[in-house]
Amino acid sequence: MADIVQKENLLVRMQEDIRRALEKPEGERRWGMVIDTRKCVGCHACTLSCVAENKLPPGVVYRPVLDQEIGSYPNVTRRFMPRPCMQCEEPPCVPVCPVNATYKRPDGIIAIDYEQCIGCRYCITACPYSARTFDVGYTYTEGTPEQEVYELLPNYEYGVEHARVPGSEESPIGNARKCHFCLHRLEQGALPMCVTTCIGVANFFGDLNDPDSLVAEMAAQPNAIVLKEELGTKPKVFYLV
Amino acid sequence: MTTLATPMPGNTAKSQNWVQWVAWILTILCLAAGAYGLYLRFTEGHAAANYGSYVPWGLWIAAYVALIGASAGAFAFAAVIFTLRKTEYYGLARLAMLVAFGAFAAGMMNVWLDLGHPFRFWKLMLQTSWTSIMGWMSWFYVIYGLILVVGLFLTRKGVIPKFMERFSWIAFLFAIAFAGAEGALFGVVGARALWESGLTPILFLVEAALFGVGLVAAGALIFGGMNQQAARMLGLVMLILLGVLLLLEWAEYTTALYASVPAKTSAIMTILTGPFWWVFWGLHLGLGVVLPGLLLLFGRGNVLLTGVAGGLIAAMGLATKLNLVLPALAQEELDGLAHAFTGPGLVFTYFPSTMEWLVWLGALGLGGLIVLVGYQLFSLATPTRSSASK
Repeated sequence: MADIVQKENLLVRMQEDIRRALEKPEGERRWGMVIDTRKCVGCHACTLSCVAENKLPPGVVYRPVLDQEIGSYPNVTRRFMPRPCMQCEEPPCVPVCPVNATYKRPDGIIAIDYEQCIGCRYCITACPYSARTFDVGYTYTEGTPEQEVYELLPNYEYGVEHARVPGSEESPIGNARKCHFCLHRLEQGALPMCVTTCIGVANFFGDLNDPDSLVAEMAAQPNAIVLKEELGTKPKVFYLV
Repeated sequence: MTTLATPMPGNTAKSQNWVQWVAWILTILCLAAGAYGLYLRFTEGHAAANYGSYVPWGLWIAAYVALIGASAGAFAFAAVIFTLRKTEYYGLARLAMLVAFGAFAAGMMNVWLDLGHPFRFWKLMLQTSWTSIMGWMSWFYVIYGLILVVGLFLTRKGVIPKFMERFSWIAFLFAIAFAGAEGALFGVVGARALWESGLTPILFLVEAALFGVGLVAAGALIFGGMNQQAARMLGLVMLILLGVLLLLEWAEYTTALYASVPAKTSAIMTILTGPFWWVFWGLHLGLGVVLPGLLLLFGRGNVLLTGVAGGLIAAMGLATKLNLVLPALAQEELDGLAHAFTGPGLVFTYFPSTMEWLVWLGALGLGGLIVLVGYQLFSLATPTRSSASK
C-alpha cells in the first residue's frame, strides 16, 4: 500500500513539474529523463506502451529495453537498460541531415519533420545509440487475408495527424523515426507514455532547468551517468546505476 | 605546335567489334533485370530490400560510393591529361570523361532509389543544409554532372578547346575535393569507429583514382583506345595506386588492431574473419589487388592484360566499398540491442535481396548504355587533337 501511495506521489509530482515548466517560454525548458536501472525489472511495459501510443509499425522501435548480462558464473547479474532517444545537447544526427529535416527544438527535444525528411538515413548511421529506426512500411497483417483497422489508425506525433497508408511511401513510411519524449502528450501537460506506464516508477521526467523538479534532483545524484559520455553528445537521458 | 591526333583504333579494327557487341548484350541484360527491379522497388517499396534500421545502408550505397569514386577518378585522369597537354592520350581522356559520366549516372541511380522518398530529392538542392556534407555533395553532383556534359559536348568533334587545356587543373582540384568529400561523408561519423578516421577521405581519394583509371583501361579495351604506350602508362599508374592502397589499408587495420579499441577492432575483425570474410580476402584482395597486380607486373604494355586488370580493379571496387559500409553498421552500438526488440530490419546482419541486386544491375546497365550510346553520340571514335594544333 505504501508503495502505491509513493508511486502516485511521484507521478503527480512529475505532472506538476511539467505543468510548471510549460508556463515558461519554450526556450527556457530543458526536457530530460532519468532512468533508475536498479528499479527497472525489464517488463517492457514502456516499450509496448510507446508502440501503442505512437502506432509504431513492425521494425520501428523508440524505446527497447536492453537486457545485459554482467559478470561470469557464479557472480552474474542482469541489468535492464531502457534506451529512448538521448535528446543530446550536441546531437550528431542534426548536422548530418542534408535537408534540415531533423532539428533541435528550443526545449532541447530533437524532432523530425516527416514531410521534409527524404529518407537518406544518414542520421541513423550518425546516432551512436541506435536510437533511430527506419520505417520501411511494414504492416503487422502482412500476408494475412485482411488488413486490420488498427494498422490504419493515424498517429499524432509532433502534434500532427499522420495517416498510415500501407503500400504507399507517404510519410512516416520511408522516414527515419525516433523517440520524441511523447511531445504531443507533453504539450498537453501529460507525461511521456513510458513514464506513465512504468510499473516500478523507474522513470523520472521533467525540466532539467527547474532545480525544484524531481528529474533535476535525480540527475544530480552522484550515481547518475550518461551513455557514451566520451563522445561529447551530452545526452539528456541519465541512468542511475 | 603540331599535336598528335589520337584515334580510337577500335573504330578501325574489326576485331574490336565483337567486344562491343558483348558489351551491348550485357548492357541490355542488365537493363532488363533493372526494369524488373524498378518494378519491385516501386510496387513493394523498401519492404523488398534487406537493409533496415540497424543496417540502414546496403548494396546500393556501397555501389554508389564505388561508382562515384570511379567516376571522379576517371574524370581526374582526363583533367591531368589535358592539364599536362599529353596530346597522345587525348582520345583516352575523352573516353575517361565518358566513362566518368556513365559511372556517375549509375551511382546516382543507386542512391536515388535508396532514398526513402525518392521524389523529394529536389530538397537536397533547394533546401540544402550546409552543415551536412551530404548537402554539399548534392551540389557537387550538380556541378560535376554539368561539367561532364559540357566537356563531352565541347569535345564532340574531336578537338579539345584551348581553355579546357588551360583550366583543367581547376577540374582536377574539383575532382580531388569531390572524391575527398565523399570520403568525409563517412569519415565525420563519430558513431562508427570504422569510418571515423582522418585516413578515410585519403583512402577514398586513392580508391577513386585507382577505380577510375581501372575503368578507363577497361573502357579502352572495349573500344580499342589503347596502344602499348598507353597500356604501359595506365599499368604503371594502377600499380602505384595499388601499392598506396595496400599501404593505407595496412596502416589503418594494423594500428586499429594494435590499439584494440573494441568498436573498431570488432568492425575490422568482421571484415577479416566475419561471415563475409571472402569479400575481403577473395574479392577485394585476391581479384581486386593481387591478380590485377600480377597481370600488370608481368604484362607491362600488354593491352589485353592491362584492360583486364583495369576491369578487375574497377569491378572489385564494389567489394572494397561493401567492406567499408557494411561492417561498420553491423556492430551493436549498445550491448544487448540485437535481442532487445525484434522485428524486420532490427538485425545486425545483411545480405542484399533479389530486388536490390536487380536494381543494382539496372544501374550498371544504365551506365553501360550511356557509355555505349555516348561513344557514338559524342563521336569518340573521331581522332582527337588539340585546338592549338594545325
